[in-house]
Amino acid sequence: MPNLTINGQSYFADAPPDTPLLWVIREDLRLTGTKYGCGVGLCGSCTVHIDGHAVRSCAVTVGSVEGALITTIEGLSPASTHPVQQAWIEHQVPQCGYCQSGQIMQAAALLSKNPNPSEQQIVDGMNGNLCRCATYSRIVGAVRRAAEIMNRAAEIRNEGASHG
Amino acid sequence: MVRSTESATTRREFLIRSAATAAGAFLSIGLPPLASSIASAQPIAGFTPSIWFTLTPDGKVTMHIVKAEMGQHIGTALAQIIAEELEVKWEDVRLDSPLESVENFAIYGLAYTVNSGSVTTEFDRLSRAGAAGRMALIEAGALVLGAKESDCTASNSRVTDNVSGRSVSYGEIIQKVKIDRKFAYPDDFKAIKLKASGTYNIIGKSIPALDIPSKVNGQARYGIDVFLPNMVYGALVIPRTRYGSKVKSIDDSEARKIPGFVKAVKVDDSMGKCTGWVVALAEKFPVAVKAAQALKVQVDPGPYAGINTGDLFAEYSQTIKNAAAGANWVLEGDVDKSLAGAEKVLEMEYTTDMVCHATMEPLNATVHVVDGAWHVYTGTQSTSFARMTLTAYLSKVLGQKPEEIKIYVHESVLGGGFGGKQDYDEILAAAYCAKEVGRPVKLIQTRESTFATSFPRTPTYHKLKAGLKNGQLVAMNHDICCGWMGPRFSVGKKYGTDWLQLDSWDAKKEDIDQWSIGGSDHWYGVENRRVRAFDSERTTWAVQASALRTVSNSYNVFVVESFMDEVAHALNRDPLEIRLALLNGKGSARGIPNAGYAPGTSSDYYMDRLWISLPWPNDNSWPAYESTTVGGALRLANCLRIAAGRAGWGAKKLQPNTGMGIAVSSAEERQSPTWVACIAEVTVDPQTGQYKINRLTIAMDPGTVINPLNAKAQIQGAALWGTSQVMAERLTLKDGALEQSNFHDYQPIRLVDVPPIDVELIDSGHHPSGVGEPASTVVAPAVANAIYNAVGVRVRHMPITAEAVLAGFKKKT
Repeated sequence: MPNLTINGQSYFADAPPDTPLLWVIREDLRLTGTKYGCGVGLCGSCTVHIDGHAVRSCAVTVGSVEGALITTIEGLSPASTHPVQQAWIEHQVPQCGYCQSGQIMQAAALLSKNPNPSEQQIVDGMNGNLCRCATYSRIVGAVRRAAEIMNRAAEIRNEGASHG
Repeated sequence: MVRSTESATTRREFLIRSAATAAGAFLSIGLPPLASSIASAQPIAGFTPSIWFTLTPDGKVTMHIVKAEMGQHIGTALAQIIAEELEVKWEDVRLDSPLESVENFAIYGLAYTVNSGSVTTEFDRLSRAGAAGRMALIEAGALVLGAKESDCTASNSRVTDNVSGRSVSYGEIIQKVKIDRKFAYPDDFKAIKLKASGTYNIIGKSIPALDIPSKVNGQARYGIDVFLPNMVYGALVIPRTRYGSKVKSIDDSEARKIPGFVKAVKVDDSMGKCTGWVVALAEKFPVAVKAAQALKVQVDPGPYAGINTGDLFAEYSQTIKNAAAGANWVLEGDVDKSLAGAEKVLEMEYTTDMVCHATMEPLNATVHVVDGAWHVYTGTQSTSFARMTLTAYLSKVLGQKPEEIKIYVHESVLGGGFGGKQDYDEILAAAYCAKEVGRPVKLIQTRESTFATSFPRTPTYHKLKAGLKNGQLVAMNHDICCGWMGPRFSVGKKYGTDWLQLDSWDAKKEDIDQWSIGGSDHWYGVENRRVRAFDSERTTWAVQASALRTVSNSYNVFVVESFMDEVAHALNRDPLEIRLALLNGKGSARGIPNAGYAPGTSSDYYMDRLWISLPWPNDNSWPAYESTTVGGALRLANCLRIAAGRAGWGAKKLQPNTGMGIAVSSAEERQSPTWVACIAEVTVDPQTGQYKINRLTIAMDPGTVINPLNAKAQIQGAALWGTSQVMAERLTLKDGALEQSNFHDYQPIRLVDVPPIDVELIDSGHHPSGVGEPASTVVAPAVANAIYNAVGVRVRHMPITAEAVLAGFKKKT
């Protein structure tokens, strides 16, 4: 019975080790914000963070992620106020919304590694996430906006530190 | 899309009443309950239905939204319409989604979300309902304030006495005064004076969509997110053919070795639904998927097993040779005579491939039987038709009378619709499995089985002729052969329904499926014109032809607008100039000049007829409102001028191998147009045939714009849907089965393919029409025309592949 750490909590997965992580997250732990789209890592709807990296949870098994720190959309920020979430609301990105948990997790991982992505880096970083409503134009703008929010917060922290 | 046989009711009054209940006082506006006498005889606590909204003492107003939420933020738009006239503070607005049942159907009417029709059909009703609520609240507020009603006005959820300056909140009013206000139908509703366009406070504002916050934190609940105690999961064994196979035997010996496997169910397909379906049931979904793969199913592949896409195209080109087999969808002037008298006849063939919806949320349904009642949990475009279809199915399967079967459909938000969630096979199969296993069943289609059982847009074949004389287009004939979806929904004269032939010119009064032919009835002023419709019933059943975003506009606009450019080039005229000349707004292209229409005329929008007749009195329908056709082709010409101007048509210096292309559209239907024009700028690589869309410029006039920021999102998304259709999407039939299975071989566009899109939204102040779909029609032909203008290659097939462009080059040189 694999032991998983998801959003800071420990769970024993009642599933064979070769079970895709996605189905344990969704159907057993009922963290349904992570979505099933294709089952083979082609669409990105099931994206979660594993040790800070954006990973397709349909394409990893529960047996392979024991001991890793797993974050789902529900654990991204306690009050849904992660800069990416703020930007997503400001830019009114979601339409049907089904792919958006994956888009947001992908964007958050991208910005955690590269706080100032160029347009091309945003396109490259987000290109694996399908959106059938084609909210793509707004996704690019919202990632840029999230970067601004994060950088502004960092500036304020730095100013505080230098004055402190 | 089945015609309901449930009887219409007769009502003559609407009520606005406050009521004291255990939960406190509330105000609702609606109809008296079915099967009860007029409300004055009722105890007030017994009054529950409220079709449009309910006001509670805390001042909150819950708007009851019967339209499916599938990405268009329709709840927010409809609530804005009510709130405008109700004069309610936006912060007080809440939304809910009524449960679908026989009883609620009689109150709310048909829950069906299609055709970009929600705002068009609801705008007037919701405006009047909001106004009626405001009038009742002002009357009651005046009593509370001890003021004259004529001195009082309402705003921000308060009634104010303009003499004393005192005011009272809506919440307080319903706690202090019992409201019992009747509005006679239809006269009192007709008499309500609505705000004029240009005086709105809430309509026309880019209010953030109410469903968005739950879509950024994982809290939105889709059909696939439903859990019920003791439920089992179902996974479908991919059927041998798309339609018509029969299961002969199931060997579950391997599946039984998998821990957690429950049983294999051969779904009853005697109603012609879910043909050849076998579902593996298991305690967990991944186990159900494994078990489905382990089941060995023997089938009789049925009558459509040998068919390939190529066979269908070959059939169409033969069918169309027999003109007598066609039925006239459009007929004006004398086409044959003017073609015979033309200096030159331009004759071209066009084809379009199949595509499917591929919604991000795979198809799914959960069914639970509680005390003999069937509870369905899903996200569907029609909870009403879902209930009716399941009723018919269970009636057949169980041998019970339809009226003995109780069904409740619990609607979720949809992870995409696009026309792909108006078939109900998963619901039927989940219900059948629930019966077989005696437990709740959650049936999830894998992506692979979602593709295999999808309801695609039909392949189509077109033959067009244009008569050219004295530099003019004098005649146009368009023959279309494809699979019609009507028969699948039992729609058409041979099924006893006729409401799809509203605009047919056909003297023989033959069946013509509007959903398969519409969009060919363009708004150009061509004196002699004919559209002939040819049906391929084999296609209908073999591929299960269905509606996909803008339905037949999605291919007919590509064909008509590409051909219109061919006409322009043959006449040596500018594609913009000839379009503006032909969009003259004369004759049948003038639109309906009055404000509203006589019910039952050929201009009557069928969505409205559908709504009105079910379950409203259809002898004297809702007050007529302005047709969205008002202004006719002149509004389309205006969009075209604006788009052409913004794109720099004829003015901008273009790079080598780069061209601009034009297209216009009046999707979605002739009776409910949204006017839209597009200019695409495209660069073609002559070495590879690959092309890049540099920019799309779109101008749309949807009448009154309810929420500009969202309208632009819808237009951008629709334009990219069109981009995906022309560049990337193709579904094929092989040996009677749909060939593509996941996003590796069916590849919608991704972020890297997205061009800049410039959207100009023209709020012309007319009655609003839909914004969710129409822009998806214009991109493909604009791109096709741009490719021609860039490098002189005409591709008469959609999608336009790099190979096709390259082949065009080779043919040229």
